[in-house]
Amino acid sequence: MKRERTGLVKIASIIFFLFLWHLIASLELFEIPTPLKTAETFFKLLTVGEPVLGRTLQRHVISSLGRVLKGSLIAFSIGIPLGIAMARSEKFEGFTSTLIELFRPIPPLAWIPLAYIFFRHLENTSVYAQIFIVFVGAFFPAVLNTISGVKSVDPILIDAARTFGATRFQILTKVILPASLPMIITGVRVGLGVGWMSIIAAEMIGGSASGIGFFIWTMYYIGGDTAKIISGMIAIGIVGYLMNEGLLWIERRRAY
Amino acid sequence: MRWRFIPILLAIAMLSVLFAGCVESEEGNYVYVAKLSPAGEMRAEMLSGDIDGFIAWEPYNAEVVVKGEGEYLIQSGEIWPDHPCCVLAVSDEVAKDEKLLTALLWAHVKATRFINDPANHEKVVQYAMEFTGKDKEVVEEALKHIKFVEYPDEKEFRKYYERLKESGFLQNSIKDLGYASEDGFFKDFLMRNAYDYVVEKLREDPSWIPDAPDREINMGHLTADLHELAWYVALKEGYFQQAGIKGNLEKQYANGPAVMEAFKSGELDVSYLGGAPATLKRINDDIRIHIVAGANNEGSAIVVKKGSEIKTIEDLKGRTIAIPGFGTVQDFILRMALEEHNLEVRLKD
Repeated sequence: MKRERTGLVKIASIIFFLFLWHLIASLELFEIPTPLKTAETFFKLLTVGEPVLGRTLQRHVISSLGRVLKGSLIAFSIGIPLGIAMARSEKFEGFTSTLIELFRPIPPLAWIPLAYIFFRHLENTSVYAQIFIVFVGAFFPAVLNTISGVKSVDPILIDAARTFGATRFQILTKVILPASLPMIITGVRVGLGVGWMSIIAAEMIGGSASGIGFFIWTMYYIGGDTAKIISGMIAIGIVGYLMNEGLLWIERRRAY
Repeated sequence: MRWRFIPILLAIAMLSVLFAGCVESEEGNYVYVAKLSPAGEMRAEMLSGDIDGFIAWEPYNAEVVVKGEGEYLIQSGEIWPDHPCCVLAVSDEVAKDEKLLTALLWAHVKATRFINDPANHEKVVQYAMEFTGKDKEVVEEALKHIKFVEYPDEKEFRKYYERLKESGFLQNSIKDLGYASEDGFFKDFLMRNAYDYVVEKLREDPSWIPDAPDREINMGHLTADLHELAWYVALKEGYFQQAGIKGNLEKQYANGPAVMEAFKSGELDVSYLGGAPATLKRINDDIRIHIVAGANNEGSAIVVKKGSEIKTIEDLKGRTIAIPGFGTVQDFILRMALEEHNLEVRLKD
């Protein structure tokens, strides 16, 4: 009963939003297409695609998503071990934490020009630069969540394992990792979210020539069809939402 | 409870639509396009093998050919003979300022005639070298493929509009912009009166110099685009100065759509740019500009790497060609060439 009611509230909020949007569009408060017109364009982009770039919306999303996954995978495979090491060794944490805290406030987007310079001599400069920008975005949430996950492991569990003669490696794999996994997954979830936001912005700048961000920018550039721009934004929203919900679902399952 | 199946069926239908759009068949007749800057990027990526060729404005095509790194596949003049390319456009405000318009047209016509006078060849080559930063051999080769004109042929120019409309680039119609007919629109868009006036005055008295305009202007052109040499000649031969044209005359842009954005924000009063982006953005974004003169016809080319297996347009199937931007003259010409051979454009990842 209670669950049904929250479901209804959720639907009501979407209907309210669409109504508001329709009102703003039909009163011409801003120059935006109505929700219905946008839905029509969105559906067209999914089925027949768009003539200028000659491709469907899904294909644009896939090329962005591919780069996000590559960049975040690298970020996680460096960030998570680093986080564990920092949480386990006070000396190592002292050595690295200041650096991490200094680099963390620099937004991924501020790295764009430098990234292009880094990879200037490689063939696909813009692709490498974008993967790097996603890496920067996904790295810090992964490190910080891993640290707090590992630190929150009950010391009694570790002591108990040690008393039973567990080796350092066994303590790491059998006690610390399982106990801190929910927080690590949170780090992965937040990192992917930041990475997804960064790639869209990176695709709008400079030498980039594919992906959903590039699609939106090109539609703006060619001009005249705001519904296509909004459709691209909706696609970004849906993909971000699904990624987040998917990982939340895994988090919840791991919690038991 | 039969209708419980309806949402499930709907969901399945939705998912199959989603998945169908994810797959791109590899079997079609596609040519992949990548957006790159002609200045530097195109040549570098062709040499590294990232792209198979490119279509750019001069002097970038001539440059790779002269250096022995690339060869012409086809000149744009062979794809569409005498096609208009770069034009001189002014904002709505400037279009109403007769004095300013006359001065601008005078400088443009003088500069174009200077370029086309064979007696000035040495000087023109010198100016072309300075403007583009390329060496003598390159600009001499490039100049061979450009026809500098004073006014574009209206019938040919309208092809841009027709083709843009056919291939789905245009989001607005002429009627949305408040014109009753296409003829009415083009009469306003391609303004010829100032040009005709200046030509007539110069015919009567070749040494005629118009009155100085009352206001300063911001004027733009595309970076090192040899098509727009008239701008550089007018500056260096002192035609702007003689006509009393003042202001920031040296603003540079990367491509035509960028010029149109600058017109939209009011950053530009006058600029040289390609005819395709001018038409596209004039209609799609209702950016009120008027074309008051032509700059050149032809002068773009598809080039491929030296020794490439690509010998004909059909050979481009499955290959990657770089363009300077979507909606540019070069994008337009490439699509035109491909369509004739039943090839389609597709974005490169």
